[in-house]
Amino acid sequence: MSEIALENLGKSFGDFTALADMNLTIANGEFMALLGPSGCGKSTTMNMIAGMLRPSSGTIKFNGLDVVDVPMAKRGVGFVFQNYAIFTHMSVRENLAYGLRAQGVRAGEMTKRVQAFAELLQLEPMLDRPAAGLSVNILQRLAIGRSAILEPAIFLLDEPLSNVDAAFRAVMRSELKSLQGQFGQTMVYVTHDQLEAMTMADRIAVMDHGKLLQVGTPLEIYNNPADTFVARFIGAPGMNILNGRLTQQADTVAVDLPGLGSVALPPALQAAAARLTTPDVLVGFRPEQINAAKAGLTMHVGFVERIGARTIVHMEQGAASAKAVLLSEVETPKARKDWTFAVPDDAIRLLDPVTGQALVGRPN
Amino acid sequence: MQRSIAFEAFRYAVILGIVAISLVPTLWMISMAFKPIAEWSAAGADLTWWPRNPTLDNFRFIFGQSSTELIVALERTAGRPIFASLLTASVGTLIAMTAGTAAAYGLSRFGQGGNLPLALIQLRLFPPMAVMIPVMIMWSFLGLIDNWFGLSLIYGIVTLPFAFWLMKTFFDDMPREIEDAALVEGCTRWRVFLRITLPMMRPALASSALFVFILNWSDYLIALLLTTRDWATIPVYMASLSSSMTGQLYGAKAALGVIAAVPPIIMGIAIQKHLVRGLTFGALKE
Repeated sequence: MSEIALENLGKSFGDFTALADMNLTIANGEFMALLGPSGCGKSTTMNMIAGMLRPSSGTIKFNGLDVVDVPMAKRGVGFVFQNYAIFTHMSVRENLAYGLRAQGVRAGEMTKRVQAFAELLQLEPMLDRPAAGLSVNILQRLAIGRSAILEPAIFLLDEPLSNVDAAFRAVMRSELKSLQGQFGQTMVYVTHDQLEAMTMADRIAVMDHGKLLQVGTPLEIYNNPADTFVARFIGAPGMNILNGRLTQQADTVAVDLPGLGSVALPPALQAAAARLTTPDVLVGFRPEQINAAKAGLTMHVGFVERIGARTIVHMEQGAASAKAVLLSEVETPKARKDWTFAVPDDAIRLLDPVTGQALVGRPN
Repeated sequence: MQRSIAFEAFRYAVILGIVAISLVPTLWMISMAFKPIAEWSAAGADLTWWPRNPTLDNFRFIFGQSSTELIVALERTAGRPIFASLLTASVGTLIAMTAGTAAAYGLSRFGQGGNLPLALIQLRLFPPMAVMIPVMIMWSFLGLIDNWFGLSLIYGIVTLPFAFWLMKTFFDDMPREIEDAALVEGCTRWRVFLRITLPMMRPALASSALFVFILNWSDYLIALLLTTRDWATIPVYMASLSSSMTGQLYGAKAALGVIAAVPPIIMGIAIQKHLVRGLTFGALKE
């Protein structure tokens, strides 16, 4: 069992900084997702944890011990690659047994464990088939099995589900989760798919351009994104962010959204808004949290997407655009008409227009 | 896309033309190998495409059996040159493939070796004739003239660039993750190379080795300069198949040519499965 601590971790390739000053502690037995778009540094971080890359700065500690100089074979980590890295010249059984053999496990014990894992991952019927020519879904299970069979204390998965079809992805999400429940490894899971991160992870580390932007539980990140990037990246669709101006109305502070109307700020946010030096502010709210109202904000509906139970409304007004996600059963707005909606008090988030940072939700 | 019939006809005409140009000499050689002396020495109207009286006399002749019609006694038979060719081409291929594969792997994986790729390709910059005289002097000094290891060694050196460049492209194309996966599971570098990399590169090794072998097998110039008698190879021996009485012994040369074509064809068929399968490896294509 292992705790992973990344301390001021950085990696550059020549002039290019792939990762800068990353600090993250992953608790023993935790399922941590590294989430971000391509090139955000998440795979670089993972490869350094595994020992395939050497950090340019900072340290990596397993249970408090510095492992930067420990070769990858000795780190006791399991790694599942995006392209599975199956040994195609071997059978499924030989692939599963490969790591055990390399570590000198006795033949009897080896056969027992291969059998157990083949059952667990439903690979039993094809154990003696050559690994070349198996379907993507089976290769995927095999790749996970080959690493998991060594029962590593740390299990690293690099976008393992990005090549499989949607239905199988859903199955594997729950299987991975139960696999972890069974063995209790510390799991680090790299993905660009926020749905995978949200459904599986205990905590998510959101990254962009080589920087760690926010760490928190899926709900914390969904509810209180640290900045505009996280706000837009998490959620499908992401959070609406509109330009506004703070105005003093009698004894309350409101935000005027040009062309749309204005929203009154709840007391908690008024204090935060007071810290801003200019009246400009960004207003964020989740598309799922707004609903039709008699008075509130008004926008022009561009088009309406009906996706089964939910309906996505695409709206614009001047330079501003926003989306609403409504239940299809309720009356949904018509395309090319104006629509008035209200944002509940607790759904409003304020962000600094200069730095992009959220005004509350993160300690000052 | 719809192409006109005229274009298709033209296309096939060109293809047939190319096939004919490349195959007719081979077929002519095969035909001549089975002709008796009266036929292969014929000219003008007596010339036929197929042997009228097929015979194995030419083959018997080069292996030392004198024929009634050809009253020329051969100083040497074809057995020894065939053995010399097989041995030197094989050992030369082994040398080139071993050194080339090792160098290509090191360079592809670790970026070691600096100018090695260029240094190797410049081995091919000069016409062979330009370097063969110095090589001949060196080989003579080292006592490597007219023995199998001397010839094998130069074959290995001359074809090393091909082995290296072919293998380097194949190693570059193999996903590193496959090796990383084995390393992370506790394998040593050597074990990964021997148990994972080389077995997965089998198709690449087979096709490169075939290519290098054919280069060595068909060499004339080097063998001509570095052998005198005992280790003359098939091409050198073939050039000697003539006599003052009969002139060029075309029938015997054709028979030897047919024999010389056999090993590459057998090797080609043996590794055909690897050649056509291509290199897809274990990973998915992006």
